[in-house]
Amino acid sequence: MKRFYRQRKNAVTDKPSKSRKKSKIPPTPLQAEYDPKEEKLRKFDMDMAYGPCVGMTRLERWGRAQNMGLNPPKEIESFLKSDSKDNKIDLECLWNKRIHGSYKTIEYFNFDNSFKKYIPLIS
Amino acid sequence: MEKEKNLHRLQCSYTCLDESFEIGKETYKGQQYSHIYFARLNLMRTLLHSLVSNWKPFSPVRPVLELEEGKECVIIGTLYKHMKLKPRVLDEYSKERSVVPLVKPHNFTHSDDYLVLEDEKGRVKLGGNFISPSVYATGVVVALHGKESGAGDFLVLDVLEAGLPPQIDRPLKSSEDKYVVLVSGLSIGSSNSNPLQFQLLIDHITGHLGDEMEQGIASQIVHVVIAGNSIEIPAGLINGQNLASKDLSRIAEPIKELDIMLNQIAAGLPLDIMPGPNDPSNFALPQQPLHRCLFPGSSAYNTFRSCSNPHCFELDNVRFLGTSGQNVDDLDKYSEAKDKLEFMERTLRWRHLAPTAPNTLGCYPFTDKDPFFIDSCPNVYFIGNQNKYETRIIKGSEGQLVRLICVPKFNETGVAVVLNLKDLECHALSFGTQLSS
Repeated sequence: MKRFYRQRKNAVTDKPSKSRKKSKIPPTPLQAEYDPKEEKLRKFDMDMAYGPCVGMTRLERWGRAQNMGLNPPKEIESFLKSDSKDNKIDLECLWNKRIHGSYKTIEYFNFDNSFKKYIPLIS
Repeated sequence: MEKEKNLHRLQCSYTCLDESFEIGKETYKGQQYSHIYFARLNLMRTLLHSLVSNWKPFSPVRPVLELEEGKECVIIGTLYKHMKLKPRVLDEYSKERSVVPLVKPHNFTHSDDYLVLEDEKGRVKLGGNFISPSVYATGVVVALHGKESGAGDFLVLDVLEAGLPPQIDRPLKSSEDKYVVLVSGLSIGSSNSNPLQFQLLIDHITGHLGDEMEQGIASQIVHVVIAGNSIEIPAGLINGQNLASKDLSRIAEPIKELDIMLNQIAAGLPLDIMPGPNDPSNFALPQQPLHRCLFPGSSAYNTFRSCSNPHCFELDNVRFLGTSGQNVDDLDKYSEAKDKLEFMERTLRWRHLAPTAPNTLGCYPFTDKDPFFIDSCPNVYFIGNQNKYETRIIKGSEGQLVRLICVPKFNETGVAVVLNLKDLECHALSFGTQLSS
């Protein structure tokens, strides 16, 4: 059994993992003040009629809703497409990087390791 | 002396329709499975909406949150089956082991299971005896007619499933017999595999067996489909550790042997190979085609095609849809039916190839589509790796006609299935290598 589940100890074991606790929450927390465009975009994020928003950009989500014939508001698209240097608009959804565990990358199909079977980590 | 006759193998046209099962540039960006359910519900709702007006013309369609007590209405949503016996990963971590009744050896259903209907915004528990939880599984989209009872449950009075998808009329043009051979579960490399049995099958297909009559039949075989589990890697070799070099060659041996065998078929006629749960492909559905470099010999032929699982194709305008069996095997674990064909029939009526994906069946987290939605009715629907050969024809309300086939594991039964493209008649092809005593 030992042979199968051999564990390798880390070289540094005495150091408590305090530094690890430094969270990966993005540097800018939700600001109290934001412009009315962002307000509308957040409302769009939270509108369940257009489906879940985690894991895709706002524009992708808008495009999906459009393809499904759900008639998402046109102004949302124009906001998102107007993003530029002096007119900063958040292209990611409200929850981006704020949901724990949503940032593990899974390699879906990797031929070099094709004997390994990949199982999604989240369900 | 009889004059020798030259036999020519018949041919047929082939169209591959695997496009929706291909995974191209999709990447994992943190999306969760809720997207698939959203896409599925949207597709199915537009479909069910159009049917509801004929089904219950006087009942309004309402979202779950707008139910009113005692008023009859129609709700559309995804079913969730709450199952007492379904294994939960959290159980392993709970300190206090609750007393859970023993799981039946073959599946997780229990008499206490109940159904819940969900739409985007809400969910409601379903009551009444009309809808039987053992028939349904999590992930099926249906329309229900009924009313809210006082206790907050939805009392189901009638159920509407989407029904068989529309079928493209098949012009019956040929009067020739053309045969397609379906085989699965070759399990080359397993301890009880019998190379002679497979060799006999190959010799039969390629026309190296029997007299002139038998060879004549062989010349009418136009296509071979291998539906998954072609190899079995010896147990104990794969344990997550790095392999010794001698084990590395052992691991590749079954594939090499398979390549040699397939070489003989591909030299004679077109061959489709689909990956199965034991094959070196990805685990989650849709499984991607086995890489061509696994088959250095066979892939040199343009008759050799490595396909995805599920696999959809047309032969002479006869539409085939098939899987290596995972979808039905999973339904068998979480619902009940009298035979595997009934599960297959249900998946067609639900318009969904694998409703239990992603709940209990591995599945790629798609965001904008649900590739397992069946939009067009196949003429032949097959699943691989089953315990025994079964087949039936089902008919839809709009004249659809579907041949359902359970392809047995060849390694265990020695049975391959032969289908006639002309009339969709189907028979088993059985090989034995032992003299019965």
